[in-house]
Amino acid sequence: MSYLFSYDFRYDDNAYETNTSETQAEVEERIGRIYLHLVYPHTLPHGGDINDSKHKLLRVKHEQFLRDSIHGLSSVFTVLDSSRPWIPFWCLNSLDIMGIDIDDKLRIRTVDTLRRMHSPNGGFRSDPWQLPHLVSSYAAVMGLALVGGEEAYSVVDRNAMYRWLMEMKQQDGSFAVHDGGEVDVRGIYCALVIASVLNIMTPDLVRGCAEFIARCQTFEGGIGPYPGVEAHGGYTLCGLAALEILGKTDVLALERLAKWMCARQMAFEGGFNGRTNKLVDGCYSYWIGGAFPLLQRALKRSPKDDYLYERPALQRYILACCQDTRLGGLRDKPGKHPDLYHTMYCLLGLSLSQHYVGVDPETEYTETLSSFSVPIRMMQWCVMPTESKVIGMRSNSIRPVHPVYGMSFGPLARCVKYFYALPPLAVSLATEQ
Amino acid sequence: MSDSDSNSLNVPLKEQEEWEDVTPIPQEEEANTVCPIAYTDEYSDMMGYLRAVMAKCEVSQRALDLTGRVIKVNPGHYTVWMYRKKLVEELGTDSESELDWVTEISEIHHKNYQLWHYREALISRLLDPKTVEDLTQDQLVGHPAIRRELLFASNAIDGDSKNFHAWSYRQWIVRTYGIWDQELVFIETMINEDVRNNSAWNQRYFVLIGDGRGKSASEPEPPLEDSLADREIDYSIEKIILAPNNECPWSYITGLLLRHAPKKLYTTLLPKIQELAAAGSDYAACIASTAMYWSTLVDIYECQAKALPDQASALLDIARDACDLLASDHDPMRNRYWDFRKSQLTMSK
Repeated sequence: MSYLFSYDFRYDDNAYETNTSETQAEVEERIGRIYLHLVYPHTLPHGGDINDSKHKLLRVKHEQFLRDSIHGLSSVFTVLDSSRPWIPFWCLNSLDIMGIDIDDKLRIRTVDTLRRMHSPNGGFRSDPWQLPHLVSSYAAVMGLALVGGEEAYSVVDRNAMYRWLMEMKQQDGSFAVHDGGEVDVRGIYCALVIASVLNIMTPDLVRGCAEFIARCQTFEGGIGPYPGVEAHGGYTLCGLAALEILGKTDVLALERLAKWMCARQMAFEGGFNGRTNKLVDGCYSYWIGGAFPLLQRALKRSPKDDYLYERPALQRYILACCQDTRLGGLRDKPGKHPDLYHTMYCLLGLSLSQHYVGVDPETEYTETLSSFSVPIRMMQWCVMPTESKVIGMRSNSIRPVHPVYGMSFGPLARCVKYFYALPPLAVSLATEQ
Repeated sequence: MSDSDSNSLNVPLKEQEEWEDVTPIPQEEEANTVCPIAYTDEYSDMMGYLRAVMAKCEVSQRALDLTGRVIKVNPGHYTVWMYRKKLVEELGTDSESELDWVTEISEIHHKNYQLWHYREALISRLLDPKTVEDLTQDQLVGHPAIRRELLFASNAIDGDSKNFHAWSYRQWIVRTYGIWDQELVFIETMINEDVRNNSAWNQRYFVLIGDGRGKSASEPEPPLEDSLADREIDYSIEKIILAPNNECPWSYITGLLLRHAPKKLYTTLLPKIQELAAAGSDYAACIASTAMYWSTLVDIYECQAKALPDQASALLDIARDACDLLASDHDPMRNRYWDFRKSQLTMSK
């Protein structure tokens, strides 16, 4: 069975070459050669039918790649010295998605590591001499949530975290990523993920967020980092997921968003690019691919109607082109080195493509006003097994994940249950002062 | 300044007389850390001393030089950038030389976030927009500081035509100093260089409409003057015929008109593209074979149907046929989207 593949789908440059079309042609050439091995030769004159049955997720190789990284990273990683809270999350989440058990020893080590990255003044940073950073804080909180358990959960001082988030909060509804740092949609996403999981959402925290995100939607339909800037995959997921947490996806022009997101799927490669006329990249399997479940809910579409993109084509790209068969790990595209970031995002994208995750429109909880509405709305997301589509070997099936949090449901649910059983924070709201 | 330490680049700080008075602060590394990084001796040495001077809030040239060395090796170290910013302010370092230093870093590290943010802060301090409020656009563009920043960004774009940070930085300069017109010239140059450069097309929208920062979500979009709409339609058509399968001009003109001059979609754009697609036109074959043309027709007819209810039924029929054609022939990868789109094209909308 050939899911929408053809050599005829290669980019038509109208015999007018520019840098963009030349680089696109190079990528298609490279990927074309990979796909050629999978094509039934007698079908070539008609565009080529591809055999998708043999794709295999190389779990053992990827596990080795991840465990090696957990053990230690070379000096090349010095450039990630300020992003250290990310690294355990990339590793452990990837293992978890592949259904690999995280043993107690590794859990304890991870909690200890992240505890040292926790700032008593709120937020997480690589070490006590670096400023807390919103994106690192998101990764650390997710890492602790993934490990789970009282030890992990109690690492975070919720009061300090809340105070620090409010220090990062800007007048226009956005968040700076650190004291004196840049402001963009990522900040809102990270702040709302953290707050929604730790049960520290307040009207002050969320004030203006939805409006800011709406202003970041461009004429193309996608979302940029900041009003006026080009629509981009990463920021689109961040914006849409943040709005999903708030229950306010309808501030966006959803039809335009749908059009832009669908246009990101590359007709030949099957994977996604992040911006118009840019190259395919495995990480957009999550940033764009993972946004489709969110779009589905926003558009109130039925599970029977499936996501708006071609799931098998994406899975084909990830499995045939993004796995490094020699080193293990996953990558942007053939010719690039595998890395931990791409490993996690390719796997997340694969999971969200294999499994249909959604909210039953019949029983959907739509109230958005109470502080408890957030976890209820978030926990309504579930897997609908009848809509699964696993390409290649059946054993390729990996764990379903929540599209907003990019994490599997079990650890997420346990974490939310813990934090929403805690008494609310004693915070003074701006309106009371 | 850049290299008072050029002689001592290979000599660890711990062996330098200049640093004898400082006790480096080592990184606490526990044995059970997950994903530990094997820092080089050089990095550990530098960071030990950096932590020490930061801890005592030292303000000195040697501290400044040290931040430079660290940033060269690890440009993502946002805390060090903040410390450097403070040092530059308190030492009264010459802005020109500091900007040159940032330029040097950008040549080594093309895709770094922090340097753009840092540079923005430097320029804000150096050139208060209020002090140049009364200058004309020509004067502003001729102002040495502004010229230099535009050049810095355009150099980065030369190296990577879609450099996200560079285009965003240009938006900041344009918006802060009000130099909208000159940007259009730059944009046209970049579009001429590569008509498929979406960053340039996005910039074009920005220059025409602004970034909507002052606008609330509930306010309607500002209308675009007829003459400007016409100009943009003609410009887009000019670029479409160079490479009809290029998404950019189609997406640009449709997005622009939908938001700011929807009537123009069917009064002006529609006849022009139909002319291109008509039998006998030089472009008929390639226009009719590109998904962009049919997709744009769907957008136009949908808009027209909303505005002209008595014609809506017929228009929506055509639009639905176009969706079918896209799903089956011209854009099969997006067949689900076209089925969805078709289902949305109903009279009730």
